[in-house]
This record gives sequence, structure tokens and C-alpha cells, in this order.
Amino acid sequence: MVEIIEETKGKDGRRNLKVAKENLVELIKDLKSKGYDHLSLITGIDRKDRLEVVYHLHNMKENVYVVVRTETMDERMPSISSLYASANWEEREQYDMLGIVFEGHPNLKRMFLPESWVGHPLRKNYDLSKVQYVNMDEEGNDYATFDPGDGW
Amino acid sequence: MAKVKSGEGGALTTTIDQAMEWARSNSLWPLTFGLACCAIEMMAIQASNLDISRFGSEIFRNSPRQSDLMIVSGTVTKKMAPRLRRIYDEMPYPKYVIAMGVCVIQGGPYHLGYSVVLGVDRVVPVDVYVPGCPPTPEALTYGIMLLQKKIRNEAER
Repeated sequence: MVEIIEETKGKDGRRNLKVAKENLVELIKDLKSKGYDHLSLITGIDRKDRLEVVYHLHNMKENVYVVVRTETMDERMPSISSLYASANWEEREQYDMLGIVFEGHPNLKRMFLPESWVGHPLRKNYDLSKVQYVNMDEEGNDYATFDPGDGW
Repeated sequence: MAKVKSGEGGALTTTIDQAMEWARSNSLWPLTFGLACCAIEMMAIQASNLDISRFGSEIFRNSPRQSDLMIVSGTVTKKMAPRLRRIYDEMPYPKYVIAMGVCVIQGGPYHLGYSVVLGVDRVVPVDVYVPGCPPTPEALTYGIMLLQKKIRNEAER
């Protein structure tokens, strides 16, 4: 049995589980075997001193959701893309926006922004005063630049 | 067509120019370029209630090669801007751009964001600005009529 730090119930009766980072993959594997066959959403929250990752799992047959919360101090998380195929892109999006490195991910690169973009925009310490511009080279690949004359 | 008013045969050239601009202004072919919520209002001007075919603008074309008016409707992100420029470059001359909505004009509610271009006039030259969030279909129809007025006046410069 996976050790759960805290279990609460939301307003709509959905279970809210908090789990340590080390037990995350085991818990998700356990939930998947219990019928939670759809990974609805992965979100991330920047709590300034730590990063929180939230997994919303959906049981298609009984139409119940469960929310799994976990947090990391060192920007690293275990990947669950081997359990749910849709986690591949969701984790790439979290890596793009919040800079959470998912260990064991097969293709961890940025989802929306160009690879040369500096920083992760949804972080609290992201510097908005340093404006970056995007342009496309002749092969059709995007690149980011600080030079306002080079991109838009 | 040359627009040089040399004196010899000038009157005839001007007349043909005016006829050409009149014909051109009444045969605008807009490009399907909906980027965000303004696109819903842009679709409404083609529907039967506010039919832009009454003013000579026919159906929206899906290829930039077949169109001469680009209605940029919706937030232009930095990732979209190079694509927008490429599509604009693929349109044949003469070509016109209408900036629809406050996002396209100066960034709108997202002007503090990291990802939004602060005005599409940084990417392509704009002929008519239609403000609003979103502008009503009537406002966009008026913008198209202003553009037709501008095209008709090009010959008289």
C-alpha cells in the first residue's frame, strides 16, 4: 500500500491525495489498475520555495475523478509517460512553462516556445523586463533572440 | 500599370487608373486568417445578415495566393508572427491588411505578457485599424468600406 501523506475531499466529493515524490509512480500505477484509465490533466504550481505538480485522473466507467498532488524541491519529478501516453505532451508543457524536469521522459523538449528561449515564463522569478523575440530561419525552425531587430 | 503623369495621354491613364481602382475596391478577396475570438465576429460578416458580398468582397479564400485582403483577427503571438509574415509575403500585389481588434492593434489585455506581439503593424503594414474587443461585425464591415474608399482614392493621389 502506498503511503499517502494527506487525503481530503473536495466540494464535489472528489478525492484529493497528497503523496511524496518517491511514491508517485507507484500510486499512479495503483490508481490505474483500479480503473482510472484517463489522465485528464497535469498542472504545475510555483510556490516560490517549491514546485507543486497536480495530476487529475479520471475513471471513465464510473465518472469519478481523483486529484494527486505532489511537490518537489529540486525541480525534478519522475515521469509517468510510460503509464499514460498523454502524459508525454502534458509533461513537456510543464517543462516548457515551469521548468520541471521529468526524469525518464522519452522526449523532453519545449512544447510551445523555441528551444533557445531563456527561462520558463510561468515561474514567479521570470524576468518580464527582458523581452525576447521569436523568428524563423530558412528551414522553418523557430529561434528566440533578445535582439528586437531580428524577430517579432 | 504606371502611375506617372507625364502630360501626354495623362488624362486617359488617370481614367483607366480610376476605373482599375474602382474595380479593385469592389473585388476584395479576404484571406481566412482567424487567430482568436475576433474570428467569430469576422465569420459573421460573411453570413447572410451582414453579407459583405453586397460590397463586392466575396467569400473568404483559403489560399494566400488567391486573396488580396488579410483580416488579422485575433491575438498575434510571437510564435505566429513569422508565419503571418510568410503568409503575407505569399499574397500577390496589391495587398491590404485590416487589423481587427485591440489585441492586433497594440496587444490588448495581453500587452504585459511574454508571448504577444505588441501590434501587428510591427510585422506587416496595416491599412485600416478596427478597434474593439471584439469589434462588432458592423464595425468590421465599416472598416472594409473604409478600405474600399482608400483603394478608390489611390488613383487620385
